[in-house]
Amino acid sequence: MKNLKMIRILFLKDLFLSRWILFAYLIGGLASCAIGAIPNPTMGFISLILIVTVAVGAGMYLLGDLLIGEGSENTRSFIMSLPVSLRDYSLAKISVVLTVFMIPWVMMLAFSIFMIVVLPGEKLGAIPLTIVIFLELLAAFTVQLVAAAITESLGWTISVMVGCNVFFNVFLMTLMSRPEVSESAKSEVLSWPTLLAQVAGFELLTVVVAIAVALIFQSRKRDLV
Amino acid sequence: MIEECKSIETNHATAIALKNVSKSYKHFTLRDASFEVQAGTVAGLIGPNGAGKSTAMRLMMGLVHPDRGDVRLLGQSISSDQASARNDVGYFSEDMRLYKRESIAWHMQFIRSIFPSWDDHYASQLVERFGLVPEQKIKGLSHGQRVKSILLLILPRRPKLLILDEPTTGLDPVARQEIIGELMRAVEDETRTILFSSHNTQDVEKICDTITFIDRGRVIASQNRDDFLDQWRRIRLHVPADWKIPTECIASIESSHRNQCTLTLDRFNPQMTSTLESSGANVEAIERMTLEEIFVTSVMRGRGTNS
Repeated sequence: MKNLKMIRILFLKDLFLSRWILFAYLIGGLASCAIGAIPNPTMGFISLILIVTVAVGAGMYLLGDLLIGEGSENTRSFIMSLPVSLRDYSLAKISVVLTVFMIPWVMMLAFSIFMIVVLPGEKLGAIPLTIVIFLELLAAFTVQLVAAAITESLGWTISVMVGCNVFFNVFLMTLMSRPEVSESAKSEVLSWPTLLAQVAGFELLTVVVAIAVALIFQSRKRDLV
Repeated sequence: MIEECKSIETNHATAIALKNVSKSYKHFTLRDASFEVQAGTVAGLIGPNGAGKSTAMRLMMGLVHPDRGDVRLLGQSISSDQASARNDVGYFSEDMRLYKRESIAWHMQFIRSIFPSWDDHYASQLVERFGLVPEQKIKGLSHGQRVKSILLLILPRRPKLLILDEPTTGLDPVARQEIIGELMRAVEDETRTILFSSHNTQDVEKICDTITFIDRGRVIASQNRDDFLDQWRRIRLHVPADWKIPTECIASIESSHRNQCTLTLDRFNPQMTSTLESSGANVEAIERMTLEEIFVTSVMRGRGTNS
């Protein structure tokens, strides 16, 4: 990677440009998790909805503003006039989009697990399900990233996002309807049911493949303006 | 007739070389574009709107990929080593935008972090000459201030090559003069090369050494500016009713009304006057043509329409 300096500069530039929205999502995400600490099933449900909303909102902003917006607002021709190759640009762009998404994502996941561990009445068995739900949000974001990288269209990306959100609901309902999952989530003991382990593995695979596909498509573009 | 420039051999003194470059879009094709800009010169690329100037410049910068042909900047292929080829190139395009939520100063700092050659003193001078306020956010800038801001980010890098796509379009006369003045200062450094596109021939005529005309995706003429101005003449004639143009002047564009005839010659030489006189025509006036007139005539002739 011979142009590491430029990749780092472009990465930091986008991180800086995203600073306020990143801060807002971080606060919003942690607040959403904190609502779940209120010992009331309704609050737990609201917390889940808010976490999903933060993840979807962050994804929407990042893909729309950082990835697609640079093309539609013509800031890309400014950046691509600098000594940077398309490969460097793509690496920096996808890295920063993933990083900015993952900062609130990691914080929300960590905070959720922390609350399960420390709050009285919470069951340690809920941790695998929590991880699987968060991984689904990450996998959905990377699928949307692929859509944004290929189409460069906000319309298509939103369509994929809507599809991912619908899938998330079906996914959650299907998962919770499985006895081994719901029983495990109520257990005092932390254990990974085979189904959840398989789903988590598939989600991680989706993330890796989607990032690779997004990078390949982004760096093989022939026309940037 | 001026030949389309093809099969140009490149050498080390060539700052920009396009060789048989083609690029097709749904409604536009740049066809077999070939031209060179020598290092240390100021070259103008003139064409009507939609002629292919921006496409040619985007191809040079590697922002779009040619369907075929070769593009070289400062001796390096833009398609094989984009980052390195752009290192000494400053590029401006009319549709280029900066980050609207950030200030001019932030952009200056960003560019400064990339280019060790950034000249702080020159940047300060430019800020003053352009009347810019570094703390101002991009979103509040007028078109003229935006153009100046982008040039402010380019010129203090001291790039060897400037590719400027219509930098004066849409500017008021004062702002246009400021930009032209700054570019003229920039070319005092004789090692610097500038390619400047516009559909305003006056701007190009002021600073360019060589000029390339482009229309409908084709390079229609490429020549030294002084040669253009020296070789083109408009000749007004009073001619008899059955007068025929001498073969030496057959490549000219002709317009005639009753006994008045106007010839536009692109390879004028003084001998043509006596040739015309001996053919029975009375030469009433021989006029030099402006670059705009030469450009319009070249375009019309390329389209197969007499002016």
